[in-house]
Amino acid sequence: MLEVQAVEAAYGPFLALSGVTLTIHPGEIVALLGPNGAGKTTLIRCITGLLRPRAGLVRFEGEPLGDVPAHAIVERGLAVVPEGRRLFGAMTVEENLELGAFVPRARSRRAAGLERVYAIFPVLRGSRRQIASALSGGQQQMVAIGRALMANPRLLVLDEPSLGLAPLLVESIFEVLREINASGVSILLVEQNVQAALTLSRRAYILEAGRMAGEGSAAALLDDARVRRAYLGPLAP
Amino acid sequence: MNAFLQQLVLGLLIGGLYGLAAAGLSLVFGVLKVLNVAHGQLIMLGGYGAFWLFALWGLDPFASLALVVPGALVLGVILYGALFGWVVRAHEETRVKNSLLIGFGLALALDGAAVRLWTADERSITTGYAGAVFEFGGLAVPLVRLASLALAFALIGGLHLLLRRWRWGRAIRATAEDWEAALMTGIDVRRAYLLAFAIGTALAGAAGTLVSVGYSISPSIGLEWTLKALIVVVLAGLGSMLGTFVGGLVLGLAEALSATVFGGPYREVVGLVIFFVVLVARPQGLFAR
Amino acid sequence: MTRARQLVLGPATVALLAVLPLVVRRDDVLNFLFLVLLSITLAQSWNIVAGYAGQVNLGHAAFFGLGALTTRTLWSAGTPVLAGMAAGAVVAALFALVIGAAAFRLRGAYFAIGTLALGEILRITVGNVLAEVSTLPATTIAGYRLANRYYLALGLAAVAVLAVAVLGSSRLGLGMQAIREDEDAAEASGVGALKLKLLALVLSTALAGLAGGLFAYYHISYYPAHPFSPHWTFDSLLITFIGGVGTVHGPVLGALFYVFLREYLAIRWVDFHLLIFGALFVAIVLLLPGGLVEAVARLRAFTRRA
Repeated sequence: MLEVQAVEAAYGPFLALSGVTLTIHPGEIVALLGPNGAGKTTLIRCITGLLRPRAGLVRFEGEPLGDVPAHAIVERGLAVVPEGRRLFGAMTVEENLELGAFVPRARSRRAAGLERVYAIFPVLRGSRRQIASALSGGQQQMVAIGRALMANPRLLVLDEPSLGLAPLLVESIFEVLREINASGVSILLVEQNVQAALTLSRRAYILEAGRMAGEGSAAALLDDARVRRAYLGPLAP
Repeated sequence: MNAFLQQLVLGLLIGGLYGLAAAGLSLVFGVLKVLNVAHGQLIMLGGYGAFWLFALWGLDPFASLALVVPGALVLGVILYGALFGWVVRAHEETRVKNSLLIGFGLALALDGAAVRLWTADERSITTGYAGAVFEFGGLAVPLVRLASLALAFALIGGLHLLLRRWRWGRAIRATAEDWEAALMTGIDVRRAYLLAFAIGTALAGAAGTLVSVGYSISPSIGLEWTLKALIVVVLAGLGSMLGTFVGGLVLGLAEALSATVFGGPYREVVGLVIFFVVLVARPQGLFAR
Repeated sequence: MTRARQLVLGPATVALLAVLPLVVRRDDVLNFLFLVLLSITLAQSWNIVAGYAGQVNLGHAAFFGLGALTTRTLWSAGTPVLAGMAAGAVVAALFALVIGAAAFRLRGAYFAIGTLALGEILRITVGNVLAEVSTLPATTIAGYRLANRYYLALGLAAVAVLAVAVLGSSRLGLGMQAIREDEDAAEASGVGALKLKLLALVLSTALAGLAGGLFAYYHISYYPAHPFSPHWTFDSLLITFIGGVGTVHGPVLGALFYVFLREYLAIRWVDFHLLIFGALFVAIVLLLPGGLVEAVARLRAFTRRA
């Protein structure tokens, strides 16, 4: 589905990623973990075409993305829920969602897409005429996920979807992600909430200081003492 | 009292054109973060376009909108491709500054070209109905200017709907808000830029046509109209085209008021003073949302 | 250019230009050189605040105009012209201090359009208050000596170039350039940005005021609002950018090129120079941000390699 091979990326002279490799198979949920500043968002930017890697290769469904402009990557079936949600705050919820179906692959199925999103997040149906910036953080996250789903993606990339949300909300968002995955969408989940991410995903990668520091099955990583100490804190069960 | 009201009516009438002039600038600045100080020169070109169509083929200026606006749209595409498309690659602060410089050079070149093509004389289009006046409670309302105001409002209303209903209109608004998020949504941001710039230029062409029929044009009006448009943009902020139109009316009224209070020669000053004060009072907040 | 060569070439050029009126007794040549020297002074003054401190002042004509207005008024009232010019410089600089405190709340392009508005406010007001042409009294016209104006222009231009050369390599000048590159970073590393920007503006406007005084001394009759016209700002901007913004030699090269083209094109094609310079300016902003100075340097490097 997605192959990241030995990617190296830099902001000016500052090397942000080096030799990063990651694979996602069809139907998988894969978590990408790591402390702040490890390069997780940089890796997402490389995958979504916002940043061109200095070296290495990103392949989506077998095709290299090197020369594909960022907006066309969405058309290929790779949608992203960016960090901080990045909604179009002055527009209504429904306008945000409909913009999600801007790409040709999703345009004709816009109505069905809207129904799907409202079925997943019933609360959005009631607030669909509201200005997006007026919503609560939880509802904004739902709109962000909904907007990405509207593109009818085969791979959904989420950058810190639990950030700033109450634990109960996080749980329901993750439940939704499980449903989305069950409907055939592969997921790459970037998270600080390691416990939740490892519970949801099957496999995980750990990024540290711009390099892959580990990978393995979620269950194994949850049992790994090193991971527990580093990410779950000394009081973790 | 009547003379005063008459001034206000005239102020309101030209205010509609200020709004239309500002709409294009506001759209381009809001979406591309490009400050095109040659906007007034584009208005001037639109005016001469209509003037030519009238002088050479006797085409009615209101009808000539149907030719001038598409022409300006094409000019916008060319200007974006040749000049402004280059600066949108830069970061925002550099982008605004470089666009200002490019607009400035373009403005001078167009000023010079206009003198060569049309001489420095003042021109206006005098149609058969140019003198028609609509009397209302002792006030004289020039029909041509009233029609211009109505058309300006219709154009801004049309633009408002375009940005709200049209697929690419929404894409343009999304790009204005957060171009990276727009890109991640699958919007070709460069194309949104191109469209916004072309539409902005088309609006300038329309404004110029209306200026040439109700008022007058000369190669030196560019800077004047750029300033009017800038004042309105600063007054009304970015983001709402209807707000921009209201801002234009407010400037027209303020000018009329100051002309009555301080005398005609100071009508230009009041807008500039408002502009500077608002700018300095809200140096960052103004263009931020 | 090395420092030693500069130290020789600069004074040599000034000396050559100083001897010129004794050899070439043609008013048209002196007039042309006068205009070049005036343009050098004005462009160089703009270069200080825009090229070094990075603040694109689009209201520069206001300070040129204030200098002209003050000088002309005092001179007509019997004050010696040099004292009048000094007063003009002071008035311009004081006005800059008052205005700068407000205008420097604006960054980048907003500073530019804010100062553009300021300049226009002053121009329109002066035009309304002083609508009559200002003409020198007959006795002054009878004793008019072009050479005097020429020498004064030469002196001023030399001062302006020297001021920029000294400033450019001084601590203050380096601080200004740090602001130009990144104001926040400069502020963070201990450069007092507002203070330095004000200093640059005061220096720049005082020089512009002197240039305005020279204008008032040179012209027999003109509308008092004329030196406030934005075209003086635009001239400075064109000259500086085409020559090379933020360099010592740029405005000198630019002024020579600009005035030459303007004066010689004007004979056949009115305002044609605007079309050419507007287009050239855009090309330089897009393709050659260093202007003629950079072009010359590149050419030199190229011929040396070849």
